[in-house]
Amino acid sequence: MPLDSTTLTTPQGHKAVRTLRIKDDHLARVLAGEEFLLFDGAMGTQLQERGLAAGDVPELLCLTNPDQITEIHAAYVAAGSEVVTTNTFGANATKLGDAATVEEIFSAAIGCARASGARYVAADIGPTGALLQPMGTLSFEDAYALFAEQVKAADAAGADLFIIETMADLAEAKAALLAVKENSYLPAFVTMTFDEDGRTFLGTTPEVAAVTLSALGADVVGINCSLGPSDVAPLIQRMLPWAHCPVMAQANAGLPHVHDGRTVYTISPEDYCQAVTSMLDAGVTVIGGCCGTSPAFIAGERTLIEGRTPVQCTLSNSFCVTSAQQLVALAPGEVGVIGERINPTGKKRLKEALRSGNHDLVMSEAISQTNAGAQILDVNAGLPEIDEKATLVRLVSELAGVTTLPLQIDSADPQAIEAAVRSYPGKALINSCNGKQEVLEAVLPIAKHYGCAIVALTLDEEGIPATAEGRLAVAKRIVAETDALGIPRADVVVDCLTMAASTDQTQPRQIVRAIRLVKEALPGVRTVLGVSNVSFGLPYRELVNATFLTACFGAGLDLAIVNPLAQRYRDAYASWRALSGEDESAQDYIAHYAGMKEGGPVQTAPTTGQEAASAASDDEPGTAEERIRNLVLSGRKEAVPHEVRALLSDGDGSHDVMYVINSVLIPALDEVGERFEKGTFFLPQLMASAEAAKAGFTVLREEASGSDVPSKGPSALATVKGDIHDIGKNIVRMLLENYGYDVIDLGRDVDPQEFTDVVVKHHVKLAGLSALMTTTVPAMAETIQLLHMQAPWCKVIVGGAVLNPEYAEMVGADFYAKDAAESARIAGEVLG
Amino acid sequence: MARMVESVEVASVERSEVLRYLGYHGQEVTPEVDARLDQAVAAVLSIARPRASFRSFECGPRTIRDDGTPELSLLGCTLVLEGKSIAQHLDGAVEVGVMAVTLGAGIERELRRLSLTDPLGQILFDAAATAAIERAADAAEALLVADAASRGLYTNWRFSPGYGDLPLECQPTLLSALDATRRLGITLTPSLLMVPTKSVTAVLGYFSQPQGGARQRCEACNLRDYCSVRASGDTCQSS
Repeated sequence: MPLDSTTLTTPQGHKAVRTLRIKDDHLARVLAGEEFLLFDGAMGTQLQERGLAAGDVPELLCLTNPDQITEIHAAYVAAGSEVVTTNTFGANATKLGDAATVEEIFSAAIGCARASGARYVAADIGPTGALLQPMGTLSFEDAYALFAEQVKAADAAGADLFIIETMADLAEAKAALLAVKENSYLPAFVTMTFDEDGRTFLGTTPEVAAVTLSALGADVVGINCSLGPSDVAPLIQRMLPWAHCPVMAQANAGLPHVHDGRTVYTISPEDYCQAVTSMLDAGVTVIGGCCGTSPAFIAGERTLIEGRTPVQCTLSNSFCVTSAQQLVALAPGEVGVIGERINPTGKKRLKEALRSGNHDLVMSEAISQTNAGAQILDVNAGLPEIDEKATLVRLVSELAGVTTLPLQIDSADPQAIEAAVRSYPGKALINSCNGKQEVLEAVLPIAKHYGCAIVALTLDEEGIPATAEGRLAVAKRIVAETDALGIPRADVVVDCLTMAASTDQTQPRQIVRAIRLVKEALPGVRTVLGVSNVSFGLPYRELVNATFLTACFGAGLDLAIVNPLAQRYRDAYASWRALSGEDESAQDYIAHYAGMKEGGPVQTAPTTGQEAASAASDDEPGTAEERIRNLVLSGRKEAVPHEVRALLSDGDGSHDVMYVINSVLIPALDEVGERFEKGTFFLPQLMASAEAAKAGFTVLREEASGSDVPSKGPSALATVKGDIHDIGKNIVRMLLENYGYDVIDLGRDVDPQEFTDVVVKHHVKLAGLSALMTTTVPAMAETIQLLHMQAPWCKVIVGGAVLNPEYAEMVGADFYAKDAAESARIAGEVLG
Repeated sequence: MARMVESVEVASVERSEVLRYLGYHGQEVTPEVDARLDQAVAAVLSIARPRASFRSFECGPRTIRDDGTPELSLLGCTLVLEGKSIAQHLDGAVEVGVMAVTLGAGIERELRRLSLTDPLGQILFDAAATAAIERAADAAEALLVADAASRGLYTNWRFSPGYGDLPLECQPTLLSALDATRRLGITLTPSLLMVPTKSVTAVLGYFSQPQGGARQRCEACNLRDYCSVRASGDTCQSS
């Protein structure tokens, strides 16, 4: 039974399909890209000319001097503006404080704009002024709440549309756009602001902004502020092919200068309009001005669009996904690789990592796959015994810190998928939906609402069809639904599902044929396949996998989910791109494979580097024990794994894991600690030694079956709420781990209750808290108070630049540690 | 006519400064740490996009609150500078120069990447970035010195919120007076911490008489690499 698109909602209850309330036919034609729309120019510059002091809150003038605001709007209307923008750029609850409520300002501001006689009133929404997590401390949902309050106020006060502007952070732009979509039926225009290097302050490019925001449902996207029109023009041209909606430009009148204590701009209206003409020629249909522009600029732009018809520019038909910093686009016929390794299924160490919350291994998997050439990373946190939703959200945020690759959100739980894609700063790929009614109902609304691409598995209530035709039939049913919901074909990626040749030898041919049928019968959709199951039960599986992958590429496969570190895959992928012509003149292929011959040394994939160099140190003097000690003391980690392995496999087996820990590594670390204490080592030396010892412990953990390496603790560490300095905390963690303590690291800016909950849940006996600013010491005191009440067994160490023994006592800590070495000693006292 | 947002150049940082931030006092530096320190410095210099914004305002009334705290208002700006230490620092000033400077979000992103992957790399990079933001602040301060000199005025040196008893609570107004969130990307957390963390805000006084002190000899002046007054043949004490 087909889905009813009008009633579909996401698991959180957001409507999949949004019906716009459009004021009139002209605006409808503007949103269809058929007619031009002229905004107004600067508000701030006009207010400064009327005596606004630097540092003032200009939005309050809507209440105190409404006539002045209306006068500015009216001058723009007289110059030809169809849209005036309310004086509400910074009118959010945080910035207004006690001065006025958001409702008061929006109501007054819309009144001022309405009184100017403008055809349309655009409710202006600027950035919150705070940086979102993970780099800042504002959570995505708190930013959303600030924006939602503005949206509701503006909608109630009678705005005609929203202009979300001057955004530098894609996540913040996304929060604001979702706030509009989920709280109003009015159109949303969204502009971001770019630097001369073609990126926003936070690294987003025009292409990424266009793909992400237009997929998310922006009705118009564009660029404003920061630069003059001739610098905006090339960036707008980069945006145009990727925006599936009209594009707008509101440049500054050049760069701001200071002259006689006043801010002035240098470009004349004539020069400005000349640059705008080039943007109209390229396909821009919504124009206006930003800082430094005046009614004279708008009057000039008015004459530009009189009698002109919009230029239709050619849109990309690529499959696109993005991170905040990177666009991955595959034109039809191009092939891509999705890294599969962040998935605990069948991986013991990764399971442990997800259970313990220590995500180092996940981060190193991400880095090695990125270095090996993956274009997208699959992220799966599906373990029955953990909170999948919370883990997935945290992983997505942490991964954005170590890789710029777009992510594939892999989960069978629609709620986890929605939570992860909602705050994901980019356009994600969802893995997956399938033909089951229940799954389509739950997952398709998420893809539609959040503008994601989606993997569609060809299975349904009856299971996986045995034939190519059966798989095609399921794909057709799914695509009928995505078509009906308005999900673009290029965002639908059909997975024809690999089965093992050893259980049914007809399957490989059926799969290859299914890919071909899907590509022929459903033009525009893409295909994806995880290939490795095909070789299950056969020897030398890599060869079978690579052969199958090549056959699938030949049938039209677009994306392969593989281990990008496996050489056979890399060979198949690289040689196919050379044969298909995607690798023009086979340049990449030649660059990587020139000089290789059959039977020659097999290239190994680049690894994290930690183990890549096993530079032998055999020529150094002394016993293996002495050599390891020297390597740790001198902080040379590269040779440590080799020496530790050699020692373990040495002779009669007396050199077991415990021997290496207790008789070699720990004494060396003690020596390091003493030298640090005496001042003969300084901090980097201490850390280099700790790294070297860690390289040894890593080998021991791999060699031993987990239980042989004793762990003590657990202990928990965090930088307190409001503070994002985490260096001291990271140093303590490194030393504690080296001494064999299990460390739960909650990161930075950690809520007191969240920290206490973890301490209670894991019965943590030692907690370490760090604060670097006087303003965050109260958060430390609050955390300790909660710990004393809810986890009275737990001892607390504190440290950080602003603390001293007296301060530590005042906040109620049990111990003060002046440095990391002292933390390790205290841990010895408390935990043994 | 000065641009309101200036890209400032930090071409190098003093190695001894970086080592000082790392708590160095004469210990042996192994070749491994030495090489990684060089890498960290090079990474900071290549990732940093130092930018500064400044303005100057005439001094308004100097008043004393009921609790005895001195306050200095500025004309055409809502920033009020309160506390004994800033009152002393700006005693006799006719104008106040206000500046903000940042190394940009790229440095912050790299710090976060290192915090997730490489603790030693993080402390080295952080120390190098701290040295670099101080250099960038020198460059920004030199812009104010030149601005003052162009009007026959003389400056003292930069003083930041949080020094002495000048409260951090003036940060929001200071940043807003420079439109620093929009122009430089500097944001504030509720605990008044600037993000990017490698950012500096400061004020200094413009005086009608030379201030001497650290400005007296160009050879000893921290701003000499960035000084445009000196490049024109004058000094900021004699122009």
